[in-house]
Amino acid sequence: MSLEFLTLDAPAVARSPMERQARAAGARFEVRDGWNVAVDYGAPEREREICRTAAGWADVSHLAKLELQGDHGLAGVTRRGGAWWCPVSDRRALVLGARGSMPGPDETEPEARVHVVEVTSNFAALTLIGPLAREVVARFCALDLRPQATPVGSLRPGSVARQPGMVLREGEHRFMLLFGWAIGEYMWTVVQDAATHLGGGPVGQSALEGADA
Amino acid sequence: MSRLPEHPGERIDRQKVIRFSFDGKTVEGFEGDTVGSALYAAGRRTFSRSFKYHRRRGLMCCSGQCPNCIVAVDGAPGARACTEPLREGMRVEHLNARPGLEFDAMRATDLVGGPFTPPGFYYKTFIRPRRLWPLYEKVLRHAAGLGRLPRQQPERMWRTEYRRRHADVLVVGGGVAGLEAARAASRLGADVVLAEEGPELGGRRLVDEAGEGIAALAQDLRAGGVEVLTRASALGYFDGIVPVWQGDTLHQVRARRHVFATGGIEQPLLFAGNDLPGVMLSDGARRLASLYSVKPGSRAVVVTTSDRGLHAALALHEVGVEIAAVADLRQLSGAPAQDLGERGIRVLPRHTVVEARGGKAVAQAVLAPVGGEEADERPLDCDLLVVSGGSAPATSLLLQAGARTAYDAARGGFALSELPDGVQAAGEVAGAGEPDSVAPSGELAGLEAAHAVGLGDERSGARVPELREALAVARAGRPAVAVPPPASGARRGKCFACLCEDVTSKDIAYSVKEGYDSIELCKRYTTVTMGPCQGRMCQLPSIALMAQETSQSLADVGTTTARPPWRSVPMGVLAGRPIDPAKRSAIHGRHRDLGANVKWAGDWRRPYDYGDPQAEALAVHHGAGLIDVSTLGKLLVRGAEAGAFLDRVYPNRFSDLRPRRIRYGVVSSDAGRILDDGTICRLDQETFYVTTTSSGAGAIEEWFSWWLADSDLEVRLTDLTQGVGAVNLAGPRAREIISAVTDVDCSNEAFPYLDARQGRLAGVRCLILRIGFVGEVGYEIHFPAAYGEHVWDALLEAGRPYGIRPFGLEPQRILRLQKLHVLVGQDTDSESTPFGAAMPWIVKLDKDGDFIGRSALEHYARETPATSLVGFTMSDGHVPSEGAVVVDERGTPAGQVTSSRYSPVLGRVIGMAWVPSALARDGVSITISDEGQKLTAELRTRPFYDPDGEVLRS
Repeated sequence: MSLEFLTLDAPAVARSPMERQARAAGARFEVRDGWNVAVDYGAPEREREICRTAAGWADVSHLAKLELQGDHGLAGVTRRGGAWWCPVSDRRALVLGARGSMPGPDETEPEARVHVVEVTSNFAALTLIGPLAREVVARFCALDLRPQATPVGSLRPGSVARQPGMVLREGEHRFMLLFGWAIGEYMWTVVQDAATHLGGGPVGQSALEGADA
Repeated sequence: MSRLPEHPGERIDRQKVIRFSFDGKTVEGFEGDTVGSALYAAGRRTFSRSFKYHRRRGLMCCSGQCPNCIVAVDGAPGARACTEPLREGMRVEHLNARPGLEFDAMRATDLVGGPFTPPGFYYKTFIRPRRLWPLYEKVLRHAAGLGRLPRQQPERMWRTEYRRRHADVLVVGGGVAGLEAARAASRLGADVVLAEEGPELGGRRLVDEAGEGIAALAQDLRAGGVEVLTRASALGYFDGIVPVWQGDTLHQVRARRHVFATGGIEQPLLFAGNDLPGVMLSDGARRLASLYSVKPGSRAVVVTTSDRGLHAALALHEVGVEIAAVADLRQLSGAPAQDLGERGIRVLPRHTVVEARGGKAVAQAVLAPVGGEEADERPLDCDLLVVSGGSAPATSLLLQAGARTAYDAARGGFALSELPDGVQAAGEVAGAGEPDSVAPSGELAGLEAAHAVGLGDERSGARVPELREALAVARAGRPAVAVPPPASGARRGKCFACLCEDVTSKDIAYSVKEGYDSIELCKRYTTVTMGPCQGRMCQLPSIALMAQETSQSLADVGTTTARPPWRSVPMGVLAGRPIDPAKRSAIHGRHRDLGANVKWAGDWRRPYDYGDPQAEALAVHHGAGLIDVSTLGKLLVRGAEAGAFLDRVYPNRFSDLRPRRIRYGVVSSDAGRILDDGTICRLDQETFYVTTTSSGAGAIEEWFSWWLADSDLEVRLTDLTQGVGAVNLAGPRAREIISAVTDVDCSNEAFPYLDARQGRLAGVRCLILRIGFVGEVGYEIHFPAAYGEHVWDALLEAGRPYGIRPFGLEPQRILRLQKLHVLVGQDTDSESTPFGAAMPWIVKLDKDGDFIGRSALEHYARETPATSLVGFTMSDGHVPSEGAVVVDERGTPAGQVTSSRYSPVLGRVIGMAWVPSALARDGVSITISDEGQKLTAELRTRPFYDPDGEVLRS
């Protein structure tokens, strides 16, 4: 008997804590890898435009997350096989990515030095993307996200909207906010409030994938 | 209209007429005007009424420093007309005058009430009879004040928000010194923010040369990446964080170095009638003329202590203002006096003003030689009295940052004497305000700031000594200034030291006579420097008056403590966005769908009930109930020594707990007091799953981490509180319901009480704990939060044939009270021990090794606790308040009720209370004093419901 109950492999649909807000904002959902994912908000082209000119936010809580405990050996944030490997401390690291990009047991427990805990639903996540993304985050977060302090591929733990959280800089204008599952609704409200005021809007996976391309 | 002919440098666009209203009447101005300049151009001289005496007040500084033109704009009080930009259709209204600005009934306070209204009069006069104080207070508040906010508003009047900005260098002040500092730092690669509180950059250059060359400099800065904020007031300095208020945004600027180029504040002079409309600071008069092309008066008298006033006289003469005379406090005037003489303007050396006369505005100024006789006085007709009492360095922000000042006798003010680390000063605030020193001073500060953050090169390093030398030369040639007397002509009428609070020179003297003879005490007694100008206009004059009254030097009197905010700021700006952080379980949406009555429970939003708590409690007894307990703290404790660790942080034993078994645990502090409680389930040899109370989750995670940090045990801790959802299915039909949706054998034989199983429930992998907080057969089901709604729906659906009902916190509290289950924090406090809380069995003093609280608990084990926690029932059906007092036979408090409810299944009121241990026996009668009522209760030491736990184990 160990940690099977943390595994997300049910035939049921897994849901983000922000699903209701996304639905209220007009999201169209598709089930992907067992998760109800907001694909778009009815206007994919406009969403891509928001990502290019202002700031879009997307619920990416469905990304898989693993916690590595022990001597992970990571010197800094690295990108491996589409997943972000993020050291949080000397003895703790997070691996984030699409389900298919997550490491297998061989990769995470070399010489059994690292223990792995499934923490996907510990952390909800929002991606902020666009030239105003940093400005949006500055409305509720005091972390220094200037490029000289947080270059692409950096993880900054700290207070996010007065709650414990982390910010991962995925690109020049792209940040992933990680925060507790239970504050998902609150965080959506905060981000929506700040981003909308600066001309931003919610965007779906299609827009994010378009930006990646 | 008093508009001047068009001239270069004016800020108005005469082609664009702007219409707005002032007190309901339409007024016209031009684009680029301020409200103040447009109203002045339209002939208005009275802009406000004073705080206490309701005297007329008019434009004085024209730079947002003084309180004289505070108005309400579109219903929002507190705007300064002299800096508020004109907008089409804006609604401007006066403050603090009834029935109107021109006739204010409260002016009687000034005319006849002066002797009765010394400082603190309201405390002395209106304190008796005491019961009428609320009425007096209401009247006083009605009579005074600086505007009103609407009593009811559906939302905030305007959006305000925070913006966090990190920078290498923050420059406060957009005058030449600030601009040069920003440019120097930026050129070396620093990330620079510049904040200027005025509407445009330039500082005094705007007055002297209408901002000549500033636009190009600003353009240069912006091109270099400097973020330039205008109308942006730095409010304070908080350990390196400088909040900068700009419109609807509060920038929290966190810079590695700070350059304060905040300039100086032109000081008024104190003389009788110094507050009359038409008495204007020299820079204010020049601003009106040069920036807004408004002629400030037809005939002016100028009084000065330095060349500043002489320059003003020249500038005003240039635009057509007749200069009746210039009084210079100095014996020898500076070079501009010769220019004035060439224009036929009289300069009277060693003269000052002793009185301004007039009704609605200045009509005459009385000049007199310093220390002269009445016969030497010169009354001069005028409609403008321009005064310049020198300049006080704007040191407030620097002082907040840790700088020190010292009295500079030559300048008659307090100058910087010491700077803290991380801070530079430049320009006038640093004693380098003259044209030949201001730019080098700024450049030097900018270079030093950049060097301090690791930028710069050999060339920039070599530039520093050059600039220092240039500054030293410039300082040596500073023109002389005179120190004005504290007040002139005080016997002729009121001399206002503090325009914001209507504090006169006599009030300061009165304060000293009353014993408030230090400047800090005087400040509190008279409220001098506590108004909207935050001491900009009144600190130096009040210090001078205090020095005079106490026969001390100004240096000995010293300054008041500089405190934020440096500028008055709407509370809404400080509040930020009105969004409260709330935790919600993954099932929260379903609770809303079901009409739950949601309330705060710690930092969670939780369903208290679904409309009928009593019925929900009964449903748990008669069929089944389902409650969301996702808020419970959930910690994973893993490692070869996890059991040893738990033995160390709990007073009971866990290393001997068998896998798949559960044990109750109480966490105690090192003083043996109860911190929290919960269950501990051993998942496998090295893995324990620990639950805590909802409110204690964070604290226990920190507590465990704290002890682990100082331990060499091989243990890893993971907080799963938010990632794992949990529900409790309880009731006589619970087994049937759960069996319908899970592959786990839930028979009592296969899955007994205090056992744990993993399996699938409605397809979802779950951890199922057989525990019973509410007293019926119960299963606490834990699962990934992402499946919260699915699991909840599946259980409700499966339970439908059995009458299942969701139940909330309130019925849960009834149910647990029936079992006398302790609610930590509700039934315990910071003094409660397991022995007093009737849980001596939880403390295993016979276990090996030390554990937290052992020493204290050993001590408590040897003593009978003074009070014990027991149950009680009420004989009369009254539900005593939680917190009601248990009293002994003499009526002395002897204990306290912690919980009380009506139990629908028992048909009576039950509760828990701390009572003297000697009484803690079944059947003993106690008295509860509840809001004046004496109530009788009977004690019970065993659970009210299922006392032997047979139901739980069935």
